[in-house]
Amino acid sequence: MIEQPKEIRFKGLGVSEGIVIGQVLRMHDGLQHVYHWKIGIHDVDAERKRFRAAVDLARRQVMAIKKQAEQRLGKDHAYIFDAHLLLLEDKKLTEDVEQQIAAHHANAEWAVKVVGDRLLSLYSEIKDEYLRERGSDIEDVMQRLVVALTGAEPQPRSLSEDAVVVSQDLLPSAVAELDLEHARALATDTGGWTSHTAILARGIGIPAVVGLRDFYRRTRTGDQIIVDSNRDEVILHPSSATLERYQTETANRIRGRVVTETGVAGPLRTEDGVEVILRANIELPSEFEGVEKYGARGVGLYRSEFLLARRGVIVSEDEQRIAYEDVARVAGDDGVSIRLFDLGGENLREPSQEAEKNPALGLRAIRFGLVNESVMRTQVRAILLAGKSGRLRIVLPMVADVSDVRRAQKIINEELANLNNEGKDVKPVSVGAMIEVPSAVWTADSIAKAVDFFELGTNDLVQYTLAVDRGNDEVADWFRTLHPAVLRSIDQGLKAARNADIPALVCGEMASTPAYVVLLLGLGATELSMTPSAIPRVRRTVAGIDSRVAREIALECLKAETADDVEEVVRERLSRLWYHLFPPASLPAPRQVR
Amino acid sequence: MVERTLTVRARLGLHARAAAKLVRVASGFDSKVELKRVDSGVSADAKSILSVLMLAASRGTSLQASVDGSDEEAAMAAIDELFAQGFGEMEPESAK
Repeated sequence: MIEQPKEIRFKGLGVSEGIVIGQVLRMHDGLQHVYHWKIGIHDVDAERKRFRAAVDLARRQVMAIKKQAEQRLGKDHAYIFDAHLLLLEDKKLTEDVEQQIAAHHANAEWAVKVVGDRLLSLYSEIKDEYLRERGSDIEDVMQRLVVALTGAEPQPRSLSEDAVVVSQDLLPSAVAELDLEHARALATDTGGWTSHTAILARGIGIPAVVGLRDFYRRTRTGDQIIVDSNRDEVILHPSSATLERYQTETANRIRGRVVTETGVAGPLRTEDGVEVILRANIELPSEFEGVEKYGARGVGLYRSEFLLARRGVIVSEDEQRIAYEDVARVAGDDGVSIRLFDLGGENLREPSQEAEKNPALGLRAIRFGLVNESVMRTQVRAILLAGKSGRLRIVLPMVADVSDVRRAQKIINEELANLNNEGKDVKPVSVGAMIEVPSAVWTADSIAKAVDFFELGTNDLVQYTLAVDRGNDEVADWFRTLHPAVLRSIDQGLKAARNADIPALVCGEMASTPAYVVLLLGLGATELSMTPSAIPRVRRTVAGIDSRVAREIALECLKAETADDVEEVVRERLSRLWYHLFPPASLPAPRQVR
Repeated sequence: MVERTLTVRARLGLHARAAAKLVRVASGFDSKVELKRVDSGVSADAKSILSVLMLAASRGTSLQASVDGSDEEAAMAAIDELFAQGFGEMEPESAK
């Protein structure tokens, strides 16, 4: 009897949005098994030629990858392949391999492996951690050479429709080379938010869960799998009950997209005629097309820290200016809000420095900018200069109260004056504050008088209001987006903005989840910003509800005592009022009593 | 031959991207360009990325550059400038 494999769930880190049900395609991290054989004395020249042909082939492949990466991800992410090209052109490398072939009568594959291993072992002794990690580039190139020797063109990995790529690790070029038309999702054992896999997955908009540790070896190609990037998990051999639940959920998403991608013209209004503006959250150039495709009204949140392709390198004023001009062009008349680098100390730490004990409460975001003033000034200058080619706004991340705002405004005004003294003729830009920590919520009235607009970042607001680390499994039960404390904070922030007569935009996960959108509208939000692909489903929600009814529901939720109570209200009211918009799978699931 | 002592100011040292820039610049000249770590005496051919990477020059490392050839002055000037601007990768240092 064939045993039915049990459903297993693995927790990782969801680094992009979405859910995919599919089949596993195991992808080996590329390590080829290399055999050693002796070649005849007369074959040495032929073997050398074979090696040179492989180098040529590999170079052509890398050039193609580089071009592809530039188009998909922008120049900043393609630089790595320039180094790969230089490695392939490196005389020292090719001479060493050829010498190995001649002196030991080794086949070219073996010679490449011997030389590569020697280089890697030298590299692994480097003390500087960052430089040592770059050994992955050498490994990548060596593997490419071995593959080039075994068979002509790269095996374009033609994937079946629903392949979910599962791997221990994906080297940079492996990710860039993937058959992206058919790769539906990625799941890897290693990696974090800033790994190549993560950046790429977000860029092309497919779900990805990384850091699954011991997952790869438990899978077989063809296994059924659900990748749920929204909930940071993958489910192997899902049970029929699980499958059914997910199928309903994804079917709704797809239907939402089809209905709304057409007919995006004209202002979006609720049934009772309240205009709601949907904007896009973006970070990578490859996401730019989504702004127009989904009819976003400009960019509500541009996460500028993704300009820093890698840990710790601040890009120059010129490079930043060009990037901001690009995004301003994409955003058009509705403009773009550029959030100043939301960096933590952990991003720019010297290897020798001790790590902060509590980085989420440490020197990050606006605090980091105020301490590392030159970084902030460079960014502000780049934004002001780029302001000539479009409508740009500056958003200050994680302000604690109005004093952070004032200090930042002083710097912005000084740079404005400096640039004008340099004859650059720049105009002032609007400056807004992110309301995402409790102290800012409690003093929102005074902050509102000092800025041009608010942005409510709900992800951090939940984390800081409830004192729950989003990435920590142990406290996952305490991370409750629909907690009354969170809703009251949002209410307070929106009220302060209304009283001061400034616009307030809500961004973060709440704004992209239909059931939560009802509450946000009920609390009076009229501007939402989200990942572009979420716009169709939110548009459909907004168009299908009455804001006055949403208001009633929201008021009831504000009075609730616990998150469970709020979820109960949402579940009960939404499914009764708008069943066509909110099938059971789209609503918060009832909690299991433990 | 011209010689000069240079300091690595790129924040992450001579990593792949910075090394690639250096190799591209050095390769544009006919002169032979050698870099030698002042502390250990390990030297590298600046036209070979492998060689440069193997210097493992982290930020703050002093390197003795020797350029020898017909266009040595121009080559040294170009390399000097690259080091001076930290390979285009600004240091996120406090302006205090």
